[in-house]
Amino acid sequence: MTASSVTPGLLGRRLWNAPSFLRLRREGAVAPVSAFLVFFVVYVIINPELLTRFQLQTASNLVVPLALAALGQLIIVLVGGIDISIGAIMSFSNVVFATAMVSLPVPLALLAGIGAGLICGLFNGALVAYGKLPAIAVTLASAFIIGSISREVMDRPGGGITPEFYLATSGELLPYVPVALFWLAIVAVLLWLLLQRTALGRHIYGVGSSADSVRAAGLNARGAQLAAFALSGVIVALGGIMLAGSTITGDPRSGDPYLLSSIAAVALAGASFTGGRGSIIGTILAACTLGLVGNLLFFAGINSYWQYVIAALIVISVVGLPVLWRRIYQAVRGVRA
Amino acid sequence: MTAVRADPAAAPARSGFSGALGRVPRSVWPLAVFVLLFLVGGLIRPNLLSVDSLVGTATFAMILAIASFGQTVAVIQAGIDLSVPNTIAFAALGFLTWTAAFGPVLGFVGGILAGVIVGLANGVIVAKLGLTPIVTTIAMNGLLFGVVLLTFRNSELTVIPQFLTDITATKIDLFGVKIAAVLPLGLILMVVLQLVLSFTGWGRSLFVVGSAPHTATLAGLPVDRIRMAGYALSGALAAFAGIVIVGFYAQASATMGASYLLGSVAAVVVGGASIFGGRGSMVGTFGGALVLGQVATLVNVANLGSNIQQLIYGVIVLIVIALYGRRTAE
Amino acid sequence: MSIPQQGGAVAQAAAPPAPPEALLVVRGLVKHYGPVRAVEDVSFSCQAGEVHALVGENGAGKSTVAKMLAGAVSPTAGSIGFGGVELGSGSIRDSRQAGVTCAFQELALVPEWTVAENLSLPDGAPLRGFSQKKATRAARALLDRLELEHIDPSVPVYSLSLADRQLVEIARAIAADPQLLILDEASSALAPPGVEWLFRRIRELTARGTAVVYVSHRLSELAEIADRGTVLRDGKVAGEFRRGAWTDDQLISLMAGREASRHFPESPPTPAADAPPVLEVKNLVSPGIDGVDLTVRPGEILGVGGLQGHGQAELLRALYGAAPAVADHWHLGGHRIKRLTPVRAVRLGAGYVPEDRKREGLALQMSVGENLLSPWLKAFGLGGRPLLGSQSSWISGVLRSLSVRTRGPLERAGALSGGNQQKLVFGRWTDRDRRLVLLHDPTRGIDVRAKQELYDAIVRLSGLGVAVIWFSTEVEELVHVCHRVVVLYRGKIADELEGERLTADAVVGAAVGVKGRR
Repeated sequence: MTASSVTPGLLGRRLWNAPSFLRLRREGAVAPVSAFLVFFVVYVIINPELLTRFQLQTASNLVVPLALAALGQLIIVLVGGIDISIGAIMSFSNVVFATAMVSLPVPLALLAGIGAGLICGLFNGALVAYGKLPAIAVTLASAFIIGSISREVMDRPGGGITPEFYLATSGELLPYVPVALFWLAIVAVLLWLLLQRTALGRHIYGVGSSADSVRAAGLNARGAQLAAFALSGVIVALGGIMLAGSTITGDPRSGDPYLLSSIAAVALAGASFTGGRGSIIGTILAACTLGLVGNLLFFAGINSYWQYVIAALIVISVVGLPVLWRRIYQAVRGVRA
Repeated sequence: MTAVRADPAAAPARSGFSGALGRVPRSVWPLAVFVLLFLVGGLIRPNLLSVDSLVGTATFAMILAIASFGQTVAVIQAGIDLSVPNTIAFAALGFLTWTAAFGPVLGFVGGILAGVIVGLANGVIVAKLGLTPIVTTIAMNGLLFGVVLLTFRNSELTVIPQFLTDITATKIDLFGVKIAAVLPLGLILMVVLQLVLSFTGWGRSLFVVGSAPHTATLAGLPVDRIRMAGYALSGALAAFAGIVIVGFYAQASATMGASYLLGSVAAVVVGGASIFGGRGSMVGTFGGALVLGQVATLVNVANLGSNIQQLIYGVIVLIVIALYGRRTAE
Repeated sequence: MSIPQQGGAVAQAAAPPAPPEALLVVRGLVKHYGPVRAVEDVSFSCQAGEVHALVGENGAGKSTVAKMLAGAVSPTAGSIGFGGVELGSGSIRDSRQAGVTCAFQELALVPEWTVAENLSLPDGAPLRGFSQKKATRAARALLDRLELEHIDPSVPVYSLSLADRQLVEIARAIAADPQLLILDEASSALAPPGVEWLFRRIRELTARGTAVVYVSHRLSELAEIADRGTVLRDGKVAGEFRRGAWTDDQLISLMAGREASRHFPESPPTPAADAPPVLEVKNLVSPGIDGVDLTVRPGEILGVGGLQGHGQAELLRALYGAAPAVADHWHLGGHRIKRLTPVRAVRLGAGYVPEDRKREGLALQMSVGENLLSPWLKAFGLGGRPLLGSQSSWISGVLRSLSVRTRGPLERAGALSGGNQQKLVFGRWTDRDRRLVLLHDPTRGIDVRAKQELYDAIVRLSGLGVAVIWFSTEVEELVHVCHRVVVLYRGKIADELEGERLTADAVVGAAVGVKGRR
């Protein structure tokens, strides 16, 4: 588990205690980051072609919507909730965007798509923060509601996504770097700045850790909760739009698979489901790991149905092993404080 | 705060109407709402106010209820079982495959056993490794999906054993009304499970664990074992639901459970269970399923389409949690 | 009752817009929680630059008053005038902006935040930028200014000791430069040097004209720091006092009411010393416990004392198997123990009354009867109504002998008052062949009558030959009811007191690490 076992001695320990590494440890992201590194190395050994432009682009297009959905889920988990409606929100912004693209210029269509996600987030957030209702039940209800609305907006795949938009979100707009990764990086950096470098972001972490304490400090805990849901809605909407871009269609059921996989990714990222702890980079890398299992198996010549089994085992073992490890450690070393 | 009283019979009645309402068991409410919706349906379309229509809705609701009984057990102990959909598919496909190979009895036992194993695995991971139930069961759901796809080639699984059809789809003539056998089957199951929950030590300790896990631990209850048994039962019930669904609809596929992911949670929540645990009942869950079923019937009759049905489901869940889902500070 | 007057030892500072009268004027404050009357018509006032103490026993309502002043709780009725402004909106933010800060008893620090974040985030708009580095630097400067050099501002609060957390909490309240500072049992986890530190800070503040409301029940601290004070009892004002014009006995009689010392039951006869011990443990080690030896005999009441956070709670949990623990030698009820779990502990005849009755003691949604029966549910046995029926004589016996005020075994446990809830948690272990019952401060926060009834019940229990280990934060309880008291200090037994040596002073002295004072 420790870096010092890899690099013997002082250097390892210094790395282990470096500030940025310290934050990763504190946010529970060491295991998922290491898991991703292992996974990536294995992947490249099995299939060195990954590093070619085409494959990298295909892989990014596959992973980026999941990463965005997982980031959206992460923000809700940070405030101690869980979002069952995340797939529905993704579908909703996806179809709103695709429909808007038929008649509106791209910037307005983008605004419409993001606005759709924002409204969903505000709806959930208002009920959770000010209605004092449990997030899991509220989002269960809104999963039904938002899902049915998106099928009203567009009852079968279609919409007016243009090839130009595909190029801009998922194509070869930039030299070498897959453009989808570029957008993901921008969102991630902005989100990181918001969560780590503004007071609001720290409030969001604080609310999940102890809402009562945040309130006792004279801060607006409910406001922070609402802001988290709104922010999550926007990021999930971006995921829906990226999905529309890479598939060149709007689809009212396109977001459905992302409900379970976003939760799995957040769990794999080591976030605490009671709130207050979770890492952005860990979540993105966890999403990459889970999103690419299928591809890896394909290249390894294994039946790709194994991906479901392996993804589940990765989640359970990466999240569960530290617990098991701690137990064994305690049993062996005794309980001395 | 006056005299010392320990005699329930001597307890003064809580004054007023709200007190009387407060003493109505929660599981009655969804049933009452169902009756109301049934009558409303009769007002809109008088021919809905018939026994046939009632039986039709109840049969549909019973299938959902059977799929949600396991979820009820999971929710009572402050967990959730999101592996219900693929447990259903796994047990159903397993049942058909094993029946073809080893006969119906072993097929049935194998299907239920598969559910028990799945549930037990959930329980061990939740109780012993301390993973969140949501994460655990989602992972299990994904794992099962892979297993289903890898294990069963569903093309040849179309032969439904006769005994299964007999206990599920066959119409029984009861006082001149034809009802599907699944209805009495489900009712018996409901009563048995309700008795287990209400009147056995394990059932009650499940409620203690669900409403106050620390209390249960410190009272010396074997919390881990209670939890694992709860998940095992939940898995077994989901597996049973899978077999019943196969019998009733006479078809099985890898995605046959998908609609029960949110559907089972919705039935449990509408049935008055607390999503935080410690509260819920089998009767209530059946009531919740009846409400959802009646909504489906009404939407169908009014020709509004399944979208509107989903929308109404969402609104009903919202109303229910707004009524008694508050995070009360006690 | 004397009318509040100008005065006190500290001269009034010439604050710019000199308030015509007191800075803080509290009139007719009332707070009801449902049927519970926590605070009933409390009035007092406080001058600028003055330390006003709120004194009372646990559960007297002083914390509730402090919370209303701080804006954490909105009053049911009454007014809080502060420099001409009306507070009491129930908004901590409003109070903070008016210049009122509070160090809360239950620490109000966010565990996942660093010290620096906890110190700096409460101020300013949510959308302003935040730099971990700058916040750490500012926090460092602040902590240095307040003589808290040993606290590292860049570590998360959950990694600090309880005492350090309390220091940070106080530092945060001071940092906002308040006009009124409320300290709600702020010294509860502090060792004497920490209390000294707190008093230095208070003197600095009052010299600048800040008023301080000091909530405490430690009389020795009051003598040193309080200019004036109000004594609360059962939510009402029982009396007022001024610096130098009171004695411990007067104050205690005001706090406790009726007679000067509270009524404790007759101590049960000391059990035979040759009876085989119920519990014998040597060198018990557990998180927070560092090598404790204990022997308890049947019928003995062993008190556990010490300041908060010195291992008392951990000791009880370890002995019950609720926390991982090992010992060189460990016997419970004649059985050798290597590792204990609560399940095994109950099987071997132990029972535990935990600290937090709402979260750890009861299932509030379930009925009184089922709560009593919860340890006795057998997986394959009956439960629910049939079990209540077959156990009805035991249940009514327990309810009667403890005088539980309830409408019956089917009432929801959450509907009972705190004292009656506590009796349920205790009652489930009575008449059940227990050999050892562990009590975690069972009388905290319950009314006087319920306390009395619990004392009687504990003594009765020991009279039946049950060994009792009783951790109490009230020294008087330890001294008057227990046969023997061990005082913990930093996870070790600092002193063991018995017979003649068992006095309040000795317990307090050992608790602060001074052995054999006086």
